[in-house]
Amino acid sequence: MDDYQTCPKCKTTKYRNPAMILMVNACGHALCESCVELLFAKGSGACPECKCPLRRNNFRIQLFEDPAVDKEVDIRKRILKEFNKRQEDFPTLREYNDYLEEVETIIFNLVFDIDPTNTNKMIDNYKKENKDITQKNRNRQSQEEMELEELLEAEKNQQCEKANLYVNAELEEKKQKHKAREKLIDELMFSDADAKSIVASHVQATAALAKEQPKAAVQAGSGVVKSSKFSSGIQIGLRGQHTNSFLPIPKQEDLPLYRYTAPIFDYDGPPPPSIEMLGKLNYFANIRAANITERAGGYTEAMSCCRALQEAMGGLFYSPQSTHKTAVLATISSTQDTDDMETT
Amino acid sequence: MFATSTQRHFWMFKDETDVSNARLSANIKYISSRGRNMTVAERETHFLNVVEEKSLIMSYEYQLRDFCRKFHPPMPRYVVGTALHYLKRFYVNNSVMDYPPKEILVTCVYLACKVEEFNVSMDQFVGNLKGDREKAATIILNNELLLMQQLDYQLTVHNPFRPLEGLMIDMKTRFPTFSDPERLRPGIDEFLEQVFYSDAILIYAPSQISLAAIIHSASTSKENVDEYITKILFSEDQKRLLNLIEAVKKIRVMVRNVQLPHRDTIKALEKKLVVCCNPDNNSESPAFKKRMKQSFDDEESFEDGQYPSASSDQVRSMLMGLSEMGKI
Repeated sequence: MDDYQTCPKCKTTKYRNPAMILMVNACGHALCESCVELLFAKGSGACPECKCPLRRNNFRIQLFEDPAVDKEVDIRKRILKEFNKRQEDFPTLREYNDYLEEVETIIFNLVFDIDPTNTNKMIDNYKKENKDITQKNRNRQSQEEMELEELLEAEKNQQCEKANLYVNAELEEKKQKHKAREKLIDELMFSDADAKSIVASHVQATAALAKEQPKAAVQAGSGVVKSSKFSSGIQIGLRGQHTNSFLPIPKQEDLPLYRYTAPIFDYDGPPPPSIEMLGKLNYFANIRAANITERAGGYTEAMSCCRALQEAMGGLFYSPQSTHKTAVLATISSTQDTDDMETT
Repeated sequence: MFATSTQRHFWMFKDETDVSNARLSANIKYISSRGRNMTVAERETHFLNVVEEKSLIMSYEYQLRDFCRKFHPPMPRYVVGTALHYLKRFYVNNSVMDYPPKEILVTCVYLACKVEEFNVSMDQFVGNLKGDREKAATIILNNELLLMQQLDYQLTVHNPFRPLEGLMIDMKTRFPTFSDPERLRPGIDEFLEQVFYSDAILIYAPSQISLAAIIHSASTSKENVDEYITKILFSEDQKRLLNLIEAVKKIRVMVRNVQLPHRDTIKALEKKLVVCCNPDNNSESPAFKKRMKQSFDDEESFEDGQYPSASSDQVRSMLMGLSEMGKI
């Protein structure tokens, strides 16, 4: 395989120079990097095999072994950027297939240099006719690309989190073991109880802990993961834009229409003038005018005037009653007593 | 609005006897729970009775007002009014001996600042107190929830200040024959200060109290605002007018009867309070401190997990006790 990749100009192989990279040009012939530099050091040059004029930036690093394949891939990419219609854009399957055949013909012609002028004319025609659809499809494609990217990123994040959790759980275990060991030593040093009993209780404790550990690890594993959905099921991020997956709310036909009823306030006092009447009754002469910043925020003198008047009038007719809970309870118990007395 | 407020629906009394009955029941409840083993005579001397409690509360109300007067930044009077309301309501349901009034006082002011949107941070607040600031902060924060609970979480209070402004505006607009009602302001302010020391705020609506203030101030400066009331406010309803006149009269009587208790009596009562107060709620007492320490220690040992909070000789004595039982 290494032998195959020979530069046609300088005949070096990958075997002899493992760092050699073959570049392929627009006409499909391969040249090693050093030859490319050489060629263009002497000014813009021609391809050594087919003599077509080349430019430096037309050389791409070869992806495929066969340079012809690379050339075709390149042309295909270029063409498909223009011819990017999908099946949904065609009313019948037959038309879609015709379109695909047209695209393939164009690509074939360009790769093998058959009838280039006609082909180019066809491309230009197509471009003119379908400019807007092409643009729309381009946008749609870029969105799809982004969604795919996000999916990949979310997966990567999840895996990272899981790995972190496991690492943390292990660290925790180690710490706990260390702590327990230190505790044992402390107890042996300072406590007055029997040494054997301390060790026995410690062994029991570690056994109990070991049983708990797998449970704790499972819990930690299913613990905090960066969520990709809100609690109602809608997905976070751009993926939530698939709103066509929601059904419309079912419409109920025979409900009564909403009728507005104005709220009624019981002021328990003489009725204050309504807020609309305040200006006419010249209340504003007696209240501080709103300054410019307050008015910009939506405050008017009418509001505070109205509120003050409502509070002033409200409650004037009030007569004292017992509403406090101790008083209410007392009255209830006293009425009960009187009832008993009456029956006897 | 007062008419739809919780103040009207849950915190109003019929008259002064009603209020004192409520206080009496709180007092009796406390004495009967704490003085179970005493005779009636002993209880009389040991515990505070209702009248003494009332004087104590009044002295603390004065203290509250002084505290708020010296408060930095300057506290608006509706915050002071709300704090006094809270203090009154709290001690209608509870006895003075049960919860130390000094702590409840500062908690009332702090809560009132929050509720009336007078923004004071805790550091600023305890900066106004003398003594240990951190301790004060912990006291306040511990008592805040208790205070709210005793107020049944009904924290909106309607004070007479806004109705007063409304009545002033109305008088200036609809009763122009009375020149410059602003002259009455000093008398009004004094009246409103005094009314908070009486129980009128628990019996009458705030607009009635502010109207009483206006009438009182007018009569002291030998003016007459009766025309305003009869012609303009109550032009339609004559019988309600009588009701209002009655209410205003009673309010003025109550305010006239407000008397600051003598300082010596207060000192004696405070000494008595120290003896008969509830040690569980008093943060000074040793029992309280021991309880807090124990709960703190329990918390610490929970973090370690397996090790019991009892010390080793306690364990040994337990084990010995058990082994002795086994022998029997």
